[in-house]
Amino acid sequence: MSAGVLVVAESRQGELREVSRELLSLGAELAGASGGGLSVAVIGSGAERFAAELQAPGVTEVLTVSAPTEHFEAHVWERAVEGLIESEDPAVILCGHTIDSLGFAPALAARLGLGFATDVTSVSWSEVGPRVHRGAYGDKLSAQLAFGGKKHTLLTVRPGIFAPAEPGDGSAAVRAVEVDLSGTARTEHLGFVEAAASGVDITKAEFLLSIGRGIEDKDNIPRFQELADRLGATLSSSRPLVDAGWMDSSRQVGQSGKTVKPRLYLAMGISGAVQHLAGMRGADTIIAVNSDPEAPIFGVAHFGAVADMFEVADELEDALG
Amino acid sequence: MARDPKYDILFEPIQLGPKTLKNRFYQVPHCIGAGSEKPGFQAYHRGMKAEGGWGACCTEYCSIHPESDDTSRVSARIWDEGDVRNLAAMCDKLHEHGALAGIELWYGGPHAPCMESRATPRGPSQIASDFELNIFPRYMDQDDIDTVQQMYVDAALRARDAGFDIVYVYGAHAYLPFQFLSPFYNRRTDKYGGSFENRARFWRESLIKVREAVGDDCAIASRFAVDHLLGPTSIEVGEDGIRFVEYCDDVVDLWDFTVGDIAEWGQNAGPSRFFEENHEAPYTGQIKAGDHTNKPVVGVGRITNPDTMVAIIKSGQYDIIGAARPSISDPFLPNKIDEGRLDDIRECIGCNQCISRWEIGGPPMVCTQNATAGEEYRRGWHPEKFHKADNADKGVLIVGAGPAGMECAMVLGKRGMSAVHLVEAEKEIGGSVNWISQLGHSDGKENLFRGTARGLGEWKRIVNYRQIQLDKLRNVEVHTNSRLTAQDVLEYGAEIVVIATGCHFATDGMNAATHEPIPGADTSLDWQLTPDQVVAGSKKIGKRVLVLENEAYYMGASVAQKLAGEGHEVSLLTQAGDIASYMEYTLEAPMLHRDLHRLGVGIHPYTMVERLEQGVAHAYNVWNPEHKEQFEIDSVVLCTARISNDELYRELKSDKARLEQEGIEAVYVIGGAAAPRMIVDSIFDGHRLAREIDSPHPEMPLPFIRERRLWGETSNDDYLQQLQAASDVASPV
Amino acid sequence: MKIVVCVKQVAALDDEFELREDGLGVDPDSLERDLNEWDSFSLEAALQLREQVGGDGHEVVAVTVGDEEAEDALLGCLARGADRAVRVWDEDVLARGDVLVTARALAAAVSREEPDLVLCGVQSSDAVNGATGTAVAGLLGLPRVAVVKQLEFDSAAGTVTVARELEGGLVERLRIALPALLTIQTGINEPGYATLRAIKQAREKPLEALEPSDLGLDPGELERVAGARLEAMAPPERGAGAEMLEGSPAEQANRILELVRERVTS
Repeated sequence: MSAGVLVVAESRQGELREVSRELLSLGAELAGASGGGLSVAVIGSGAERFAAELQAPGVTEVLTVSAPTEHFEAHVWERAVEGLIESEDPAVILCGHTIDSLGFAPALAARLGLGFATDVTSVSWSEVGPRVHRGAYGDKLSAQLAFGGKKHTLLTVRPGIFAPAEPGDGSAAVRAVEVDLSGTARTEHLGFVEAAASGVDITKAEFLLSIGRGIEDKDNIPRFQELADRLGATLSSSRPLVDAGWMDSSRQVGQSGKTVKPRLYLAMGISGAVQHLAGMRGADTIIAVNSDPEAPIFGVAHFGAVADMFEVADELEDALG
Repeated sequence: MARDPKYDILFEPIQLGPKTLKNRFYQVPHCIGAGSEKPGFQAYHRGMKAEGGWGACCTEYCSIHPESDDTSRVSARIWDEGDVRNLAAMCDKLHEHGALAGIELWYGGPHAPCMESRATPRGPSQIASDFELNIFPRYMDQDDIDTVQQMYVDAALRARDAGFDIVYVYGAHAYLPFQFLSPFYNRRTDKYGGSFENRARFWRESLIKVREAVGDDCAIASRFAVDHLLGPTSIEVGEDGIRFVEYCDDVVDLWDFTVGDIAEWGQNAGPSRFFEENHEAPYTGQIKAGDHTNKPVVGVGRITNPDTMVAIIKSGQYDIIGAARPSISDPFLPNKIDEGRLDDIRECIGCNQCISRWEIGGPPMVCTQNATAGEEYRRGWHPEKFHKADNADKGVLIVGAGPAGMECAMVLGKRGMSAVHLVEAEKEIGGSVNWISQLGHSDGKENLFRGTARGLGEWKRIVNYRQIQLDKLRNVEVHTNSRLTAQDVLEYGAEIVVIATGCHFATDGMNAATHEPIPGADTSLDWQLTPDQVVAGSKKIGKRVLVLENEAYYMGASVAQKLAGEGHEVSLLTQAGDIASYMEYTLEAPMLHRDLHRLGVGIHPYTMVERLEQGVAHAYNVWNPEHKEQFEIDSVVLCTARISNDELYRELKSDKARLEQEGIEAVYVIGGAAAPRMIVDSIFDGHRLAREIDSPHPEMPLPFIRERRLWGETSNDDYLQQLQAASDVASPV
Repeated sequence: MKIVVCVKQVAALDDEFELREDGLGVDPDSLERDLNEWDSFSLEAALQLREQVGGDGHEVVAVTVGDEEAEDALLGCLARGADRAVRVWDEDVLARGDVLVTARALAAAVSREEPDLVLCGVQSSDAVNGATGTAVAGLLGLPRVAVVKQLEFDSAAGTVTVARELEGGLVERLRIALPALLTIQTGINEPGYATLRAIKQAREKPLEALEPSDLGLDPGELERVAGARLEAMAPPERGAGAEMLEGSPAEQANRILELVRERVTS
């Protein structure tokens, strides 16, 4: 049985996506455990230009697959990865759990009968090959999966879980893999556009800076709005500020407000009433800043800082320059 | 679900003299309009709270003697054996659920006008009441003092016999014991006046006498305003406030702390638009935390959040969480915390409608959030229990998710109707509450006496609670952003249709004063607005704004407050003698006036707009229409009549054959769509229809129990004969 | 035009749920079932397309893999306007199946319909694989676009122009020829609802219940397509709550910024 690990790197508009480096650090760990090699494949027209960036520690080979389309095309990528599986025979194929992967990875897994799991949050190597964990029922439970009997297992890995690999010394060989991709494209790329900025919709935000009763005074709100802007976050709040007429109810997180599931929820000065927690516990990562160490929000947060929210805000502002 | 262990502290028993309070939830004395003369109302209302987990419930202020008669406002009375019998019903109800019963023995002095008894109140000094009209007390000499103290003792003995566990000597809110204590009322030079000990003597003696009479059987409590909020002219917490607690600590089993007085008791029963949760802490919090008492302390502050309750107890502010309004809004608040159902708590919104009806004198208490408040006995409504409707197989369509529609849908859902569809035209449910809750704050900064102009944001709790409940009801579907036509309704497939489409402000100045539109009024013009347009912000508002308020409640004043806070020069006109007169009853008026004054709003009572033209409003004095006044203005806001949005209802009703053909058995109209009214009454209307949806004629309210004396009763016959015999003398010639 | 919409009756966990004794699932009493939120949008997209093309002979067919309770979801779709519904189930292989097993069964049911367009939700709220639709497309050899936020149908050309929602607010516009499969993102439209009359009438519409063998699927073979084997299910290890960021406010702030960069900017 092969023990090799293949990472499928991801790029967009000429830039390598961060998730690729996260997959590399996971891949290195996994390859170390399995005793196989770690190869990383980059697909696209001019894929070679990423070869240097992918020279992370533990990478044994950088593979390039030249594609006829400039941008990601799901059917082309599906065939390219299929070709890589045929030629490289990896035990594990790691993709990001990203929009691009959603377009081709499941099709490939279904078609080839691969071992398959999506949105995995941990991967280990066992006597039966890879073993993974992923959430179930909106992350209220964690499921443990194995893939006994599968020659190849394709995993899409949740971004933001693994630390991105640092660039390595550049010793890995770069090899072009030929896969015949002509005629595989089934969609026509018409262009990229920035999503139209609409009214505030906190349910769609990837990053929420959420403020609560700790704000103390209406006059402090503009300051946190500005901080949110500088962090690239959308400002939301708990109910007391809406009750007080300081925030519009469209920004209220909670059972009686909006249920949000951002990638990051930074709660400042929110103690965490049960109705509030019901609206935000689905966030991928929750950071809570509160001066009360007993605040219920720390019960659901992944990271907590017992601190004065204004002092932390001072420091954040300083650090942002 | 089980209780979160962090709330365990709220369920620890505590000893009050000879009695044990089973937990830390305590309904402090508060008025409901029942007194001793509506014993069913009294017993069932308090009993409901005992069922909901409150460890103790008290009567409202309870007069000890006809000399303390607050008619037309309704107090309890324990004047005779009849009162004992009626109040015993309340005690029994409380004891059924393991709760203690408290009674607040009260002598009002000059604050009780004695309009029914026609008695003469006594007082420490002959100074007229600062808010009753021309009520002077009779100066109390030592005999009077002995007499009144004996009234307390006799009343306490009757209270014990009725079954009360906690007996108050009530002084707070500036009633007789407090009048002796405070130099604002007490100008005596004898041993009951002058020095602190002298001024405190009457209260202390009264406590000791009551304690001697019933202290072995009952806990002795006193309600004390730790600060009169009048500055050095009266009791201040840092001076005589703390001193008095230390002085009488040995003769009470329980302290019940408040602030202020009855003249402006909105400082105690603070409305949400000016006061936030636990707003009395700066005063009442000083006593226990400062180690000035060894006795259990209960206090209030419209506390609805269990985390706040825990913090209050842990910080040493109070031992026991007192509540009046939160217990009205949710009689089951303690049980919901105990059962881990925090999201089911129906939080008080601080509108003070409950208080308003008592202040008016006569009507039963109402509650915006809890439509069953006051209806426990006379209509048999339970806030948490619902009978399955006999016609539960019917499908119901409710058009409009404002206060009435939301409530109706929720109650029908809880009554187990097979399918209830609540369809709302706007993006979110809540109706007028969604914009009304954005009113009432001004600049939100500057402190107003004790509070802040926080606005009506907490009124949004009306929507919050119902939204959460509706989400949980699997038989109720809520559909927003869907405006239904009559055709849509006809073809919807519902057997029962409820129209709850609300109302809107007149666009032409139609008003209650003249019953005519105002010439020149047209809110489609960009310089004229209805109140909702002010909130919507879609029109630019000029520097000088005239607000005409015609509905005597919060709307005009709130708009004026908002605009003045934003820097506009505002003139507020009303045809009445004062703006926002209903806000006197909700206790919001004093703070409102402070804010309007601070913001420089010009208030023009008895003034009506005659006609409008761009740049100028022509007005006149209602007592002399020839007396004209012109206001140079840039914008005008017309808070005049409201008009039902009843086109849909009328159109549906116009073709009864079609209704029948479509299988629609009934079409009802509720809330503002039937007639514009206060939110509290719209919610009641929606609730009432849902409770009676299976009655023979749901559009007609079922009769309710009227507690009144029936002719032919014999209970007073002996006394009547005595009176008649005594008066039977020859003509005095 | 025939549009197949693949839907799922999802299950949400109660706050206090219990695991099954075998540790491989949840006590069904702890679950609240409902139509998957994403599927509500894909159904709406299908109904709107049917309306756009107008006239007779167009059909929207809702297909699910699910137990008898899942008929509630199908009835909901029928009430909202779907013309027919198909449910595939067996208490053995499909009840235990993973996303690839489900996809195989769906593919068989979809293929029988010979649709012009297949619409799926991006993901289900309970399994959150984000994979079923694309897997069906792979099995059927259908061209597909995942995570579609906008959709325009050109009936003359037989193509759809779609917008694919990418991370970080970027959108890619694509054209794809029918027959095709799209996975639909929430917010693409405003889902309608069913009136009480439509709910009653839905019961009169065709709702077929099939077993895998009715679709020519061999249970043994179906079982073998599973991509993974569930070994255990347990509450996630969140330990004693949050990892506390120690140090001065400055140190805490720096760590927060690191987390922001790590979790959002990636």
